[in-house]
Amino acid sequence: MMAATEPFIHPALFYRSDQEYLDNLVPFIRDGRRYGQPVAAAVPTKKLGLLESALGHDAKHITLIDMTEAGRNPGRIIPGVLRAFADDHPSTHVRIIGEPIWPGRSDEEYPACVQHEALINAAFRDRRVTIVCPYDVRRLESHVVADAMATHPLVWEAGHEQVSTGYAPDAAIARYNLPLNGTREAASCTVRTAADLSAARHFAATEAERAGLDRRRISDLELIASELATNSLQHTPGACQLSVWADAEHLVCEARDIGQITDPLAGRRPPVDGQPDGRGLLIVNHLADLVRVHTAPGGTTIRAYLRLDAKLR
Amino acid sequence: MSRRAGVVRDLRDLGLHDHVCWAFDDADEFRARATRFLAKGLDLGEQIWYVGAGEVAALEDEMREFPGMDRALRRGAAKAASVEAAYPGKTVIDPTAQVRAYATATDQAVAAGFTGLRVAADASALVRTPEQLDAFARYEHLIDRYMLTAPFSALCAYQRSLLGEETIAALACMHPGASPNATPFWLHATADGGCAAAIGGELDLATRDLLEPALRRADLQPHNGELVLDATRLAFIDHRSLLQLAAHARNNGHGLVLRTAHPGPSHLTKALGLTNVRVETPT
Repeated sequence: MMAATEPFIHPALFYRSDQEYLDNLVPFIRDGRRYGQPVAAAVPTKKLGLLESALGHDAKHITLIDMTEAGRNPGRIIPGVLRAFADDHPSTHVRIIGEPIWPGRSDEEYPACVQHEALINAAFRDRRVTIVCPYDVRRLESHVVADAMATHPLVWEAGHEQVSTGYAPDAAIARYNLPLNGTREAASCTVRTAADLSAARHFAATEAERAGLDRRRISDLELIASELATNSLQHTPGACQLSVWADAEHLVCEARDIGQITDPLAGRRPPVDGQPDGRGLLIVNHLADLVRVHTAPGGTTIRAYLRLDAKLR
Repeated sequence: MSRRAGVVRDLRDLGLHDHVCWAFDDADEFRARATRFLAKGLDLGEQIWYVGAGEVAALEDEMREFPGMDRALRRGAAKAASVEAAYPGKTVIDPTAQVRAYATATDQAVAAGFTGLRVAADASALVRTPEQLDAFARYEHLIDRYMLTAPFSALCAYQRSLLGEETIAALACMHPGASPNATPFWLHATADGGCAAAIGGELDLATRDLLEPALRRADLQPHNGELVLDATRLAFIDHRSLLQLAAHARNNGHGLVLRTAHPGPSHLTKALGLTNVRVETPT
């Protein structure tokens, strides 16, 4: 189905059953073994079990990653899963199965999922990597399938490979760059200088405690609030307005400033040892369960979500 | 032996090894704080020195305004000294020689039957230029190491209106404890033999320009190729500050080890893929 020597290959796999899932992915994995290409599968928990039992003995030769854990926040999949695996094998073509979108992704998560899928194309340009992204088209809504066509240059379906006619990743990123409104009951504080950061962390921690965020995650929240506000102070000419509130499932920390993020891969590049600065968003992506961004010439809003149910961490 | 660490609000109960920085606004405040700190020394049987700007006779008169000081002066338990006499030499002090001078004075106090030496000094005159500040901050760290084991305690007072907040912070952060709002963090000596120093407080964008000079001035010594910091009192560190610490260690050819139970540094180390940083949970 694919030539092993091409540099970056990014197909969406449209499947309708577990059997179809395995019929496509087991040979993909076995071919990788045959060509000496390292293989990773970052897929939802149930799919991990499916692949493991189908592969039998061969399962121990591939890296299995639970995407509902490692990729719960789509913003950390590129640095924490995909690049992490590819960069571990710099001298050879690697194969990755990445399934970041499954039935049950929430309305809040979905826009970040699409942007993540679109950004894979920029993040791996000219890299020797194949990333195949399975989509359960029987259970996912039709607009999800249309978005997958926009974010993947190739589609694998029913044993055939086609060029995606709707491929337009930049348009997909822009389409899901949605305004973030509705913070009517949020407590907020303004960070104008570095001297305000300590009080801002204290504010965020106090609000989170009130909302019932697990103690162990309060320090995550303090880091998130501090890194977001520091970014505003470092990269924009104005202040940062920090707001904290709880919705049904999450503690939400929002940072608003008057800057615009012009680098779409900000916060998704793996760290370079010795680079002294500019990893704030990467940290936030690492710590949060979901990060949503809206950025425009008038300003940027970033929301970091932390699950209130500690069992889900 | 435990020493007062972090923000110090009350100078009454400081012990034989305490090392506290105090930022004061005017001469009256210095006198009041210093004598409160020194009075405790008399209770503990220490010899006490009151070091300030001006003539010794005038400084003695200032002391006498406080209860018990007149008698202490007459029996030799209390002494006033001009800052020029207590910190002799040119305009820039020699940090090592200065530690030796206080070590000798401490030995003499002990030989004379005192439990130790306690000094309250207004050193504002000695930190007016960048070179002076560099040398004096270095001295503050060296004397802090000496104080860990020797019966020497000190209140290092600096006049805020004369020096400005930045200079105050650069000096205050070299003490285990300091007056409120003087510094957001503290880098100081620790009795834990495996650690080069202890670091406490909060490290973020507000400390960016303070941290590197403090580390340089402390000139911390590695242990088996690793710079080990006791960070049990570090309440917060952001990723930029962790990178600063890691870069300082690496530039000196060492790995960095942070001893802390806080999850933040571990998360940062993992997210940043820092290969020369380890986080240890203190036992």
